[in-house]
Amino acid sequence: MSGVLSYLLSCIFVVAVHGSMLMSVYNNGNYASVNDVITLSAAVVLLDAVYFVIMPFFKQRTYAVDFMLLLILNMSMIFQSCFGGVHFETKHFITIIAALVSCRIGYILCRNHRWIQTKKKFLWAGIGILLVVIFLFTGDRSMWIDFGFMSIQPSEFIKPLLVLACATSIAEQQNRHKVMEFNVVYDNLIVFGITAVVILFQWWCRDLGSIPTFAAIYASCFFMRICYPKAKFSRKTIIIAGSVVAVAAIIGIILAPAYVKARLFADIWSNPNEDGYQQTKALIAIAEGGWFGKGAGNGFLHEVFAYESDIVFATISEEWGLLFAIMTVFMLLLIVAMPLVNPPRSYYHGTMCAGVCAAFTMQMALNIFGSCNMIPFTGVTLPFISAGGSSMVVSGLMIGMIVAAQSPVFANPSKKKNNKKKRRKV
Amino acid sequence: MKSIKRCQLVMTLFLLGFLVGLGVLTARIYKDAPFYITHSDNYRLGRVYDRYDDVLFDGTNKIDKPANYLIDVGNLIGDDKGQMENTLVAQNIDKLSNYSFNSGINSKDGKAAIYTTLDHTANRAAYNAFQGADGCIAAYNYKTGELLVCTSLPNIDIRNGYAGIENMKSGTLMPKAMYGTVPGSTQKVSTVITAMEILGQEGLFAKSYSCGGYFMNGTGGKIDCHNSWGHGTQNIQQAVENSCNPFFAQLIEDGDMPLESITEVYTRLGYDVSNSKDEEDEETEQEYIDIDGIQCFKASTTLTDTSDFSTQWGCIGQGETLASPIQLMMWQSAIANGTGKMTMPHLIEKVTDVEGNVTETAHTEYSEQLFSSETAASVKQILLTNGANHYQYSIPGYKVAIKSGTAQVKNGAEENALLVGFVDDKDFPIAFCVVLENKYSTPAVAENIVTTMLNSLSR
Amino acid sequence: MEVTLYTAALLDICAIVLIFTSYMEKRSGKKVWSKLANDMELADENHVYHLECDEILIGRHASADIRLQDMSVSRYHAMLNVTDGKWMITDIGSKSGLFVNGEPVRHVRIYEGDVITLGNRNLIFRKRRVQK
Repeated sequence: MSGVLSYLLSCIFVVAVHGSMLMSVYNNGNYASVNDVITLSAAVVLLDAVYFVIMPFFKQRTYAVDFMLLLILNMSMIFQSCFGGVHFETKHFITIIAALVSCRIGYILCRNHRWIQTKKKFLWAGIGILLVVIFLFTGDRSMWIDFGFMSIQPSEFIKPLLVLACATSIAEQQNRHKVMEFNVVYDNLIVFGITAVVILFQWWCRDLGSIPTFAAIYASCFFMRICYPKAKFSRKTIIIAGSVVAVAAIIGIILAPAYVKARLFADIWSNPNEDGYQQTKALIAIAEGGWFGKGAGNGFLHEVFAYESDIVFATISEEWGLLFAIMTVFMLLLIVAMPLVNPPRSYYHGTMCAGVCAAFTMQMALNIFGSCNMIPFTGVTLPFISAGGSSMVVSGLMIGMIVAAQSPVFANPSKKKNNKKKRRKV
Repeated sequence: MKSIKRCQLVMTLFLLGFLVGLGVLTARIYKDAPFYITHSDNYRLGRVYDRYDDVLFDGTNKIDKPANYLIDVGNLIGDDKGQMENTLVAQNIDKLSNYSFNSGINSKDGKAAIYTTLDHTANRAAYNAFQGADGCIAAYNYKTGELLVCTSLPNIDIRNGYAGIENMKSGTLMPKAMYGTVPGSTQKVSTVITAMEILGQEGLFAKSYSCGGYFMNGTGGKIDCHNSWGHGTQNIQQAVENSCNPFFAQLIEDGDMPLESITEVYTRLGYDVSNSKDEEDEETEQEYIDIDGIQCFKASTTLTDTSDFSTQWGCIGQGETLASPIQLMMWQSAIANGTGKMTMPHLIEKVTDVEGNVTETAHTEYSEQLFSSETAASVKQILLTNGANHYQYSIPGYKVAIKSGTAQVKNGAEENALLVGFVDDKDFPIAFCVVLENKYSTPAVAENIVTTMLNSLSR
Repeated sequence: MEVTLYTAALLDICAIVLIFTSYMEKRSGKKVWSKLANDMELADENHVYHLECDEILIGRHASADIRLQDMSVSRYHAMLNVTDGKWMITDIGSKSGLFVNGEPVRHVRIYEGDVITLGNRNLIFRKRRVQK
């Protein structure tokens, strides 16, 4: 009973937030005719309503993450539709629906961790195929495949695959093999190899922006695997190793050659129309917006390249205020932090959530801190907020994994496979 | 279970890392936004007022006044165009920031302002009294330190912009009162103070030297007097009133005035004393007197040997001695206060932020002890006597202590007239310094300029 | 500005409501889980060990889910896992072996009331008792 109540309560509040935002657009926004605002409102509220009706049919155990996803996606829809004057951003609306669909797909694929574990070979193959696709079809060291009517960024799709490949169960970690005095878990080596190949490949593609994300996914998975194979890594060792790495990184930054430092600590203000054009404009826009913003559609940042993707945080900040932009980011954090409130029931799902969390936080950090000139500007997208189909679908898939971890299904895939697994284990 | 807790720990670490970053980012944006906004096209500065709320600068350039209304203060107040660096606006541009992160750029009528101590009317009166001649004048309240008048000619009205900057006379874009000039005989005030500090009042008054129109010094240099007939035998009071060069040359050369003592007092007074004759002296860091961010030149001189020609000329106010009118005026305050401590001038009375809250108010500050109060009292008496005897009619109505000076510049081709002094009136405590350049080429007279200014200030 | 503030406040409340929803789901999830896991627990004389996820590692090492600080227990001694309410226990390379009701085993299903022996330690596998 309380479940139904909290479901309804959540519905009401999600719609209330969207309604309040739309009111804000109506009051402070920059629109040519009220019809634009009405169209937008209708689309947003309709999507909310349809989703609320459809969702119970999935008979999930939890819906909180879905509510959050819908909340953020429609917020994103309102943001994107208001940049440079209120209009209906059809393309973004389609990608939002794609994200919702891909979230369902992610959920269905991952809810049974036993089943997805038996498919690990397909994951590895998938990453391999994507790498080959990138190698063959993207332009000269670029990261896009252009289909004419749309372009796809295949490297994005490696992210969820890598998250799944990095996730592991305890049983898998205890499946040790003795190779020359060493206890080796094959899966660990394979994951390490895959990550190394992916990162090197991205380096070759000059897609430097996504490397930290892959590295973060692997770091989270490495942290969770390091405890198990031989049980020799105590907490102390990990803390010491971590601090050694941190100190080494600091020393490295201090001793780095001049041109690396120039890249890291570029003074964008000395020449604001060249290297740091986007960052300076973004920072000026944030400053102009202040805490409470100029009102939807009143900003100037929509005249700057990549306003809807790479520096979207600043664009929102300018129009809606830094306070609201930060709270939007908090909502994004909250989605990936949901497993902290409602913990998963299996280690595979736990590691999967950690991987998703690592990917999201790293990507958000690169986008937000990069556009505000705290770290080098790399031009990655802000999950769900930036426009862009590939990013949207992939982020949806990853949130689907979190939904799966919250509403898992514990069932043996099929007798045959189960037996096979048993034999290997014993 | 520990395994699940470990997953949660990893997630918490990532989230915390991000949150810390976000916190740093927010703090940084909040702190640096006033800087970011200066690059914005929509950014406007606030206003600068004089002491009677007359607008001297407006970031929105909406001063609806006659042409050249601001020509007396243009190079002191300055603007944000970057042409003039050593000006009030350029040095205090952050205080004029009509922006706060709380309200964003939307605050169209921000109240950020600098309220200065200047008296625009008196400035204008003094400016007009120059009758187009070059020069500068500064005056301040030596009790409170409020800089009331600080104008120089030539000057510009910043509303006219900088078109034709290449044809402007040199010195147009700088407040001349802040820059070094040859002090001429006004330097003798410092020398009297120095002698008084070394010899004491009775010791100095006991000295008398004779002037025969010139003086051959110990190293064979000839110090001319402006009166070629000579002044005869004089004491210090008469020498100051006569402004007699040979007297001061002999005073410097006197065996009771060792070079180290002179150097010590001069340094205390704030001179940058060079003891070496070498022109190629190592470049020392130029020090400045800071007046609300505006850098004011600090006096300098060269002292090598008390019987040396250029050292003696230096103490008389020619040679290598340079001092800024503001500093000459500040020494007067140390005499006028009777304490031997200068009142430090200030230009900003108060600052308001974008919401109109006062964020800064001025306080009167004093310098270190430059000389003893006994010295101050004696020198004050000497200068007052000089004023009473010689300026009673040229500066009527004020009890002034004064010392005139004539400075030869451009190798003697031009002579600048200087007057430093103060009004000895506890209700009208004004110290001033005026420099009238090339005094023979203009009908303007330094005494008249001072009178006009004082009249305007006391209106 | 005020509208933005209200929207921000509403967003805050919405976040709190959603967290609350998630918390409620956690509680209902617990019930579902105990049904799924047959509502069992492990216990010895001093401790009760809850079984809250589908793979549980028993051993001497600090990272083990159920830690038995006894030198006779291997660092990673045995693993429990559950499917459809059926609990299995597996010996994962222990030195002193794994015994269920005194019988040495490698991989076996355990039932209510079974006594599991790891080195010198005995654990009872039993129905969960309501905590006081």
